[in-house]
Amino acid sequence: MTDQIISELENAANIIMAPPNLVSNEQRHAAESIFLEFRKSKSPYGICKEILENSHNHYVLFESAEVLKSAIIREWAFLLESDKSSLRQYLLQYITTKNVPAFVRDKILQVLAIMVKRASIDDNGRERTNILHEVENLIVNAEPSKKILGCNIITNLLQEYATTVKSTDVGLPWEVHFKAKKQFEATDLKRILQFCVYLLAEVVKSDPPYSETFIQLTGHLLKITETVFTWGYVSPILPKRLIGIYESVYESDASPALKLTNTWSEVILNPDLLPLMFQIYWKVRDSDQLAHHSLNCLVQLASLTGTILYSDEVRIKYVHLYLMTFFKLISNVTVKSKESLGISNIVKKLTIFFIHDIPKLPESIQDTLFDEFTRLTCHFCDGAVLEEAQGQEDKYFSDAFDTMLEAWMSIIQEYNNSFENSFFECAKRILNKYIQCHLAPPDGCRQISTNEAEEVEDDEDNDRIRFKDQLQAIGVFGRVVPSHVLPVLFKLLEDRINELLNNLGVMQTRAMNVSEAASLDNLFEDIHWIVLISGHILCMDSDGETPMIPSEIMQYSLQQANRSESTLESTANAIYALQSKAAAPDNFDRCDHVIRIVFSIMKLCTIEDTAASVSLAQFMSPEVGSTLMWFLKRWCLSYLLPVENYYQELSPVLIGCTGKDTEGARFIVDFVLTKVRSNVHHFKSEPILLRDTVDLFCDIVCVKHKSTYIVKTEAMRNLLDLYQHLEPGCLPPTIVRGLCKGFVMAGAALHNPRDSDSTSTMNEYFEMMLTPLQQRFKTLLGQENFSRVYHEEKVQKHMVDLLEAFIGIAKGSLMPSATTLFHFLAPILSELSVLLTIYSNYQVIVQLILELFGQCAKYMLCFLSPLDSKRLYESALATVQAYAKCNAGRFTTETFAEEFTYQDLGLVLDLLTFILSKDCFDLCQDTGNEEINVSASDVSLFGLNFIMPLMTINLLKFPSLCTQYYRLLVLINDIYPEKICNLPPELLQTLLRSIEIGLTNFGPDIVQACLDFIQGMATYIFRHAMLNSPFSQALRPFLKVLMDLTLSHQINSDLISTASTSIYALMCCFQEDYKMLVQSLIQNQPDPMTAERLAAAFNNLVSNVDMTCDRLPKLKFRDNFDKFVVNVHGFLLIK
Amino acid sequence: MADIEDTHFETGDSGASATFPMQCSALRKNGFVMLKARPCKIVEMSTSKTGKHGHAKVHLVGIDIFSGKKYEDICPSTHNMDVPHVKREDYQLTDISDDGYLSLMSDNGELREDLKIPDGEVGAQLRSDHDAGKDILCTVLKSCGEEVVIAVKTNTALDK
Repeated sequence: MTDQIISELENAANIIMAPPNLVSNEQRHAAESIFLEFRKSKSPYGICKEILENSHNHYVLFESAEVLKSAIIREWAFLLESDKSSLRQYLLQYITTKNVPAFVRDKILQVLAIMVKRASIDDNGRERTNILHEVENLIVNAEPSKKILGCNIITNLLQEYATTVKSTDVGLPWEVHFKAKKQFEATDLKRILQFCVYLLAEVVKSDPPYSETFIQLTGHLLKITETVFTWGYVSPILPKRLIGIYESVYESDASPALKLTNTWSEVILNPDLLPLMFQIYWKVRDSDQLAHHSLNCLVQLASLTGTILYSDEVRIKYVHLYLMTFFKLISNVTVKSKESLGISNIVKKLTIFFIHDIPKLPESIQDTLFDEFTRLTCHFCDGAVLEEAQGQEDKYFSDAFDTMLEAWMSIIQEYNNSFENSFFECAKRILNKYIQCHLAPPDGCRQISTNEAEEVEDDEDNDRIRFKDQLQAIGVFGRVVPSHVLPVLFKLLEDRINELLNNLGVMQTRAMNVSEAASLDNLFEDIHWIVLISGHILCMDSDGETPMIPSEIMQYSLQQANRSESTLESTANAIYALQSKAAAPDNFDRCDHVIRIVFSIMKLCTIEDTAASVSLAQFMSPEVGSTLMWFLKRWCLSYLLPVENYYQELSPVLIGCTGKDTEGARFIVDFVLTKVRSNVHHFKSEPILLRDTVDLFCDIVCVKHKSTYIVKTEAMRNLLDLYQHLEPGCLPPTIVRGLCKGFVMAGAALHNPRDSDSTSTMNEYFEMMLTPLQQRFKTLLGQENFSRVYHEEKVQKHMVDLLEAFIGIAKGSLMPSATTLFHFLAPILSELSVLLTIYSNYQVIVQLILELFGQCAKYMLCFLSPLDSKRLYESALATVQAYAKCNAGRFTTETFAEEFTYQDLGLVLDLLTFILSKDCFDLCQDTGNEEINVSASDVSLFGLNFIMPLMTINLLKFPSLCTQYYRLLVLINDIYPEKICNLPPELLQTLLRSIEIGLTNFGPDIVQACLDFIQGMATYIFRHAMLNSPFSQALRPFLKVLMDLTLSHQINSDLISTASTSIYALMCCFQEDYKMLVQSLIQNQPDPMTAERLAAAFNNLVSNVDMTCDRLPKLKFRDNFDKFVVNVHGFLLIK
Repeated sequence: MADIEDTHFETGDSGASATFPMQCSALRKNGFVMLKARPCKIVEMSTSKTGKHGHAKVHLVGIDIFSGKKYEDICPSTHNMDVPHVKREDYQLTDISDDGYLSLMSDNGELREDLKIPDGEVGAQLRSDHDAGKDILCTVLKSCGEEVVIAVKTNTALDK
C-alpha cells in the first residue's frame, strides 16, 4: 500500500520534472493534481516517514516535508504529546544522519523550527532550551558537517521567531507569536549570542590560510551573531499595525537600532567584546563571504541604545571604547570601496545614538574624531569622483560620502557654532576637496568623461535634484567658514568668466576646433558647479518657509563692513557696473563678497544675452542657463527686498544694495525681468531652460511685497508686451501658461485690504493684461466662417495658445484676484461646451478644455461666491455632458484609442474631484444669496453620471485612472452617503458593480477603498433604518461576497481588519442572511469534525458582540475576526 | 480679407500642401507630425541632448494615424518638422451600397459616396447598426490625400 503510494508519487514527480517536449499538458496536470491531493492528506505522519525513509526522489521528499508542515500546523492541537516528541526526534535524527540535498534539508529544518516554536508556547520554552543544548554540543564537538548543521538549526529557529505579523500562516494569532518572540528573546536569544561570541573568540586565534570548513563555520557564526544584533527588539507597548511596519522595514534590510535592556550588559558591555568584533573584521575583511556580516555587526554595535546604557558614565565608557577600537582599525587600513558604506554607516550610527556624548569625550579624542572623520569624508569624495568617471554601477563611495555628510550634519547641529579652530580646518578641508572634485584640471581633479557624444536624457534627475542632499550639506559647511569659501568661489568664477569671454572673442572671428569645443564644455561644467555650490552656501532651501538671508552670511557681511573690508559705495558700484557695461567696477576689492558672487552670476547672464544677440546662442550651454535661472530665483527670494524686521541684525551693505527703496533693488528687479524676457525671446527651443526661466518669474512675483515692486516696472511691461506679440505656437507647450500664471499672480500683489483704491488699480492691471486675450478669443470664434475653418492649423494654433493662457490664469488665481479673474473667464467658460463639441475630433483641444475646467475648480473655486460657483458648475457640467455625448457609443479603429480615452477621463475625474473639494474647503466669506444652494457633491455625482457609461473595465486597468475613480467614490461616500442612496437605480447598479470588480481585480489600495465604501454604506443604512430601501437590497449580496473572499484567502492579510469591519456592518444590516450563510457553509463541509470546528469558530466569532454597529462592538468583532480567520484558515483546506 | 485667406486655405486643403512646418520644440503630445513621410499622432515626446551642455533634442514616438504603425524620430529642437493637415469630420450615414461603399451626408447636407466600409470590428459594427436601423455618425479622417472612416457612433438617447 505504502509502496504503491510512493511509486505513484515518484512517477508524478518524474512527469513534473520532465522537459516540456516529453510530457503532454494533460499528463502534467494529472501529476500536479496527485500532489495537490497528497497535500490534503489527514494525519500523514506515518506515510511521510515512510517516504522519507524509502524514496530517493528529491522532489517527493520535499513535498512530503511540505505536507508534514501543513498537517502539523492544522492538527497540532489534536496531536498527542508523545507523537509530537517522537516525530521531532525522528526528524532531527533524519537530518543528522541522512544525506539529502539542501532544499529538502531546509524544508525539514523549517518543519522542526515550527514544531519547536509551537511546543515552546505550551511549555514556556523548556524543551527548546534542551534542544539548544544538544545543538551546541553538536557544534562544539561533532565533525565539521554536523557543526554546520547545528548552525543551520539555530538559523532556522531564529527565523521562525523573528517576525510575528507576517507569520500568521502557521495557525497562531499574532498575539501568541509576539509573546513567543518576547519569551525567546529574554531567554535563549542571549544564550545563543553568548555561545557565538565564545566560539568567535576561538576563531580569532587562528591565522590564515583558512580551510574551507573553517570559513564556512565562521560565516555561519557571524550570520547568527548578525541576526541577533539586527533582531527587532520591539517594545510590547506598540500596536500591531506599527509592529507590522517595523517588521517590514526590518525585512527590507534597513536594520533597526540595537535596543537592549540591561539584562544584556554582561555580554554586550564586556570590555573584550568590541575589540574582539573589530579584530574579527580586521581578519576577514578580505573575504567577500565574511566581511559583510562582520561589518554589519560593527554597524549594529554602533547603534547600541536602551536601558543597557543606564547612565552617562556607562554610555561614555562604551562610546569611548568603541571609538578607540574604530580609530585603530581605520588608521591602519585604506578603506576599500566595498567596505566604505559600512564604515560610513558606523559613523552615522555613532552620530545618531551618541551625539550628545561626543562633546563630553576628552578633547584629544574629539580632535582625533574630527580628523579621522574628515579624512574618511575626503577619501570617499575622491572615490565617488572615480566611480562617476568610470560610470560604475555600484556607487559605494558615493553613497558612503553622502552618509558621511549626513553624520556631519548631526555633529554641526550638536556643536551649534561653538567649534574649536580644529573644526574650521576640517570644514575647509572638506569644502576644498568637494570643490576640487567638481572642477576640471588644473584647479581640480574632475575626470573628463571620455564619451563625448553621449546622449543625456533630459531632466528628472539634473544635478540639483540628484545631489540635493549633498549640496545642502556642503552649503552648511560653507556657512561655517564663509570667510574662507566665498573668496575661493568668486575667484574661481571670475577666472572662468574671463576665459569664457576670451573664447567668445575667438569664436566671433573664426570657427572653433574640436579641442576648443571640448574645453568650452569643461568650462561650462566648472561654472555650473561653482554656481550650484555658491547657491547652496548663500541661501538655504526654503520649501514652505519664508526665505531668509542665513544668519551666518548676514554676520559675515556685517563683519566685513565693520572692518571696512567692504563699503556700500564699492558694492553698489559693482551692481551699476553691469548697467554701464564697464569692464571692471571701481574699488572691486571692497565689494561685499556675497554681491561679488552675484555680480559674476549676472555677468554670466549678460554674456549669454550678448552671445545670443550676435548669433552665438548655439555655443552657450542651456544647462548653465538653467542653473543661472535657478540661482537667481533662490537668491532673489532670500536677498532681494528682504523684510527688515525679520532680522536681529542687518548688514548695512547688503541692505543698502538690495533693500527697500534702493537703487540697487530697482536695478536687480529690472535685470531679472529683462533676463526672463530675453530667454523667452532667444531660447524658444530649449524647453528645460524656459521652464526654469518661468519658474524664476512665477516664484518672485508670488512673494507679495516683492511683487508690488515688480509689477510697476518698465521691464514687466516689456515682458507683457513681448508675450502679447508672440506668434501663437512658437513656444514649447506649457510655457505660455507659466507666463500667464506669473502675470496674474503679480497683479494680485496690487491689492491691499487697507487701501480701497488698490482694488481698482488691480483691476486696471488685469484689464490691461486680459482684455487683449478676451478680444482674441472673441475674434477667433466670431469669424463668420468659424464652423468651416475651425480645423485649420492656424485657427487651431490660436485656440491652443488661448486655452493655455486661460489655464495659466486659472492657476495664478489667489484670494484677492480670484473673483475678478473668474468674471473674466466665466463668459469664455460658458462657450466651451459648444467648442468641445466642435473640436471633439481634436484631442489636444478637448483635453485643454477639460484641463482648464479642472484648474479653475482647483485654484479658483474655493474663493468663489455661491453665485459664481454655480456659474462654474453649470459650464463644467455642460462640458462634461458634451464630452460624454460625443464619445458614448463610439467605436474606433484607432490604435491606442483606449489610452486616449484614459487620458480624457483622467481629466474629467480630476475635475469632479476638485469640484467636490469645495464642500470641504471653502474660503469664500460671502455666503450671500441663500436661494442658491447647489452642493458641489451633487455636481460631482451628476458629472459622474455622465461619464459612467464610458468607464469600462479595460479602462480601469490603467492604475492611475483606477485609483482616481475609486478615490472619488469613497470621497463622495464619506461626505454624503445619503446622496449615494438616492441615486437612480441604473447608476447605482453600475456603481456597485464597479465596487464588486474593485474587490478582486486590482491592487490592495483599491480593495481598501471598496471595503471602506461598503462599510460606510452599510453603517449608514443601519443607522437610518433603511433596510427595505432598494439601495439596501442592492448592497445585500456583498455579505456573501466578502465572506467568501476572506475565507478563500483572496483578501490580502493586511486588509483583513478592514474587511472584518465591513463584514460586521453588513452583518448588522442583514442578520438573517448571515445566519443562513453560516448554516450553508457548515452544511457544505464533508468532514464532520471540520464542520464541528467551523461551527465552534463561528460561535466564537460573535460571542459577546452586540449587533449595534457601534464602535466598541465593532472593534471587539475585529479582534474576534482576526482569531477566527487564523483558526479557520488552519483547518479549512481552501487554497 | 477673411474670404481671401479662406480661399488660400482651401487650396492648401486640396492637396497642394499636405503639411506645414513647425518648430520641433513647439510640438505637443497628442498632436500630429510627419514621421518617415507618414502622418502620425504623437504618443510620446521627451527631450534629450548631446552631452550635458549640448542643446535640446526632441525624441518623438508617433503612430501612423491610418495604419497604427509606430514610428520614432529624434530631431534637434530648433529644427522644423512637417506637420500634416489633419481633418476629422463627422458624417451622417444614409446608406451602404451592395459593393460596400457608404453614402455619407455632411452637416451642410452635401452627399458623398466615395468611401468604403472600414475593415474589422468597426465595419461589422457599422453594418449591424445600419441593418438595425440605427442613426449612425461616421468620423472620416483625412490627411495627406488619404481618407478613411475611423470611427462610428450610434446616436443614443443621450443625444436627444
